[in-house]
Amino acid sequence: MLFEPFTDVYPSFWGWLNQGPLTLTLFLHTVIVLPMFWLYFKEKKRLEQEK
Amino acid sequence: MAKSHSVWTSIRFWRQSAAWVTGFAVVLLILLTFDTMRQIKMGGKRVPSPSVINNHIDYKYSKKRGHEVPVIGDKEPFFGKQWSDEEAAALLHKGKLTSQAKNCMNCHTLLGNGAYYAPDLTKAWLDPKWKQMMPMVGAKTKEEAIAKFLQHPEMYPTHERRMPNLKITPDEAKALVAFLKHMSAIDTNGFPRGFSKGVKEFEAGGTYAH
Amino acid sequence: MLTSIKNNNLQFESQKLGLMYFRVALILFGAQLLMGLIAAIQFMYPEFLYGLFDFSVARMVHINALVVWMLYAMIGAVYYMLPDETGIEAVGIGLGKLAFWVLTAAVTVVVLVYIFIQIGPGKESTIWFINEGREYIEAPRWADIGIVVVVLIFYYNVFFTFMKGKKTGVMTVMVANLLALAGLYLAGMFFTDNISMDQYWWWWVIHLWVEATWEVFVGTLAAYALIKIIDAKREIVEMWLWIEVLMLFGSGILGLGHHYFWIGTPEYWWEIGALFSALEPVPLVAMFVHVLYDWGKEQGAHGDRPAIKNGPAMAWIVTNAFGNFLGAGIWGFFHTLPQVNIYTHGTQFTAAHGHLAFFGAYATILIGMMYLGVQGAYGVERMKATFKSKMAIFLITFGVLGMTVALTIAGYEQVLVERAELGGGWDAFFTAQALPWMKQAMTWRTIMGVVTFIGFVYLVLDLLTIGKESQKNS
Ligand code: HEC
Ligand code: HEM
Ligand code: HEM
Ligand SMILES: [Fe+2]
Repeated sequence: MLFEPFTDVYPSFWGWLNQGPLTLTLFLHTVIVLPMFWLYFKEKKRLEQEK
Repeated sequence: MAKSHSVWTSIRFWRQSAAWVTGFAVVLLILLTFDTMRQIKMGGKRVPSPSVINNHIDYKYSKKRGHEVPVIGDKEPFFGKQWSDEEAAALLHKGKLTSQAKNCMNCHTLLGNGAYYAPDLTKAWLDPKWKQMMPMVGAKTKEEAIAKFLQHPEMYPTHERRMPNLKITPDEAKALVAFLKHMSAIDTNGFPRGFSKGVKEFEAGGTYAH
Repeated sequence: MLTSIKNNNLQFESQKLGLMYFRVALILFGAQLLMGLIAAIQFMYPEFLYGLFDFSVARMVHINALVVWMLYAMIGAVYYMLPDETGIEAVGIGLGKLAFWVLTAAVTVVVLVYIFIQIGPGKESTIWFINEGREYIEAPRWADIGIVVVVLIFYYNVFFTFMKGKKTGVMTVMVANLLALAGLYLAGMFFTDNISMDQYWWWWVIHLWVEATWEVFVGTLAAYALIKIIDAKREIVEMWLWIEVLMLFGSGILGLGHHYFWIGTPEYWWEIGALFSALEPVPLVAMFVHVLYDWGKEQGAHGDRPAIKNGPAMAWIVTNAFGNFLGAGIWGFFHTLPQVNIYTHGTQFTAAHGHLAFFGAYATILIGMMYLGVQGAYGVERMKATFKSKMAIFLITFGVLGMTVALTIAGYEQVLVERAELGGGWDAFFTAQALPWMKQAMTWRTIMGVVTFIGFVYLVLDLLTIGKESQKNS
């Protein structure tokens, strides 16, 4: 089961994201890593221009 | 060096990435902290109000949560009376202060944090051993037994390792019992697990073979 | 180290001040070990000093001396590297020296009160003047305020020297990180009746120190030391430093969640704490690889001339790379998932990890910095390890590893018998404590503690003499 019923004491945004195994951290890790792709390609373009 | 054109060796790339990741982690932590503060403020469902000392407290398995949770039951007298909200809050305040002033945390763990020289106090209020202790210290109720023990632990050794006399006054002892009772009503997501389930074994002399 | 108080070869007052901090740090380190030994003996013979100098007192001084000597050595290290990195003298050196004496006087008073007064009545006055009763940050409120003032002076010195002098990448990280490190102390300075709230903020100080800001501090020190000891290339070292910052803060800040599993906080911390802290070992591996890689590379780079300018310092820094990875990375990972932590939480297993991590990640590199300081004070070009240096590093490392093994075994036993089998509680606790395996482990911990202490004696002797000996030999 990817999504489980909500069981914690208080409903909350974070608790809601946490309803399936790993969904909360998967979400957070993705949000953290994605902009690094953008930083990577920005830097790549800069380095090429310098060359 | 041919490699100096690789992004992977660009200091600027790593510096920007470090700034982004750190900044984002800090912002997330702050947001999570706001949500947690809301959930653990005193008087809520996770950390009950001080007046919970007027209620019976139990620790039972919840099918829905998948672990034990505190169950706050009917009213019961605490040191022979019902405590008003203000009285209960003042008592808990004194208890928490005393726990710090006497440094309980450098022998015991509280909510699992502290020192490992003496038992965890998270659910000490619910420990079945107090039933045994009541006749030993000459007390009629559990709260009295704990209070008596705390004032003169050196007089009631049950194990080789004794708790020392920390010059705890009767008032401070009462307050500490309130602090312990309140702590046992905090929802700790099932810690400790299977609390004191070994008790039957002890009562049977440490064996199931009887 | 002592003989060089008056006339030494250091060019900068800032570096001399650094050495003053190192001296006090070493004394407190010794006090820490003695207190640990008392506490360890009390585990074996509970009547030892019972009612006079109880376990709680010995332990409080043990871990407070630990935190304070490390902060001293850290401040010392910063004052020492400051002129090297910025190229100039610290801007407010007179004020810096005053702060040193004020801090040292305050620490002395706090320790004397811990030892002789110990506890107070359950009133606010106790928290203001005797002790705050919160593990690691027991210092009473008056001392907290004093510490804040002293740290402000220290930070003023570092920041304005940085602004005035050369701005290296190493110092940029240092200045930013120190601000966070100092600011976090404020999170531990208030009282609340709510024990969950109390521990929530208490962990901000403890965890965000040792698993975020102190780690970055160590990465910065290692960067500086590698440049200094083996002429590592600055661009490469600084690139690694930024990668380390990225990974350390990326995992360590939210890794804080591994302390929010059971203190009344919401269940979503299970997942956040587990998965972010599970990544915390990654930067530690990276730091390890980096140090060994640079070491190996520089070894061959200078022809016949030995590449290492300070043998004992380098040995301690390599031990740091390994110990950080082992104590924090491996031993930390062992118990960081909630599925495991529900049983290991608050057992000797935690103590095993605490010892190896604090030693491996911090004690080692700070001792290495002290050797760098001695080298500078005696103006020795190349400082080789002496017999005493080797005995010191071997006995201390072997002793701490031995204590860790003993505590790990004790922890396993406690986890399985007290927690899993008997479910915790008063009798369950003592049933586990009374088992022969636990008792043996406690005996071995004490023996290995004595080994550690003998190593410490060698360390002190070595630091006092190695400078002169190297001068004679060169
Ligand atoms: C010097 C160490 C030390 C200090 C400080 C200390 N205790 Fe204890 N405590 C012990 C020991 C050892 C035992 C076990 C005594 C026995 O079994 O005979 C114990 C037992 C207890 C028990 C019963 C055990 C249980 O699981 O219910 C309670 C309750 C307790 N202590 C509360 C406190 C409180 C509250 C404080 C602070 C005011 C405190 N202790 C401070 C060492 C200490
Ligand atoms: C140098 C870095 C580190 C140091 C100095 C350190 C030190 C400590 C100390 C002293 C404690 C016990 C705190 C107490 O008294 O209650 C502790 C607890 C803990 N540490 Fe670390 N630690 C470090 C890194 C890590 C890492 C990288 C991880 C995980 C991967 C980790 C996981 C944990 C966990 C889960 C606990 C809680 C133990 C419990 O539940 O009782 N630590 N740490
Ligand atoms: C002579 C050697 C040492 C001995 C005998 C010793 C003994 C002890 C004892 C008995 C405790 C109390 C544990 C408990 O509550 O059950 C303790 C705690 C602690 N010691 Fe040591 N110690 C020694 C050296 C060190 C060193 C070198 C370090 C770090 C550099 C260190 C760091 C700590 C820490 C962080 C704690 C708290 C652990 C926790 O709460 O999990 N100790 N020590
Ligand atoms: Fe942590």
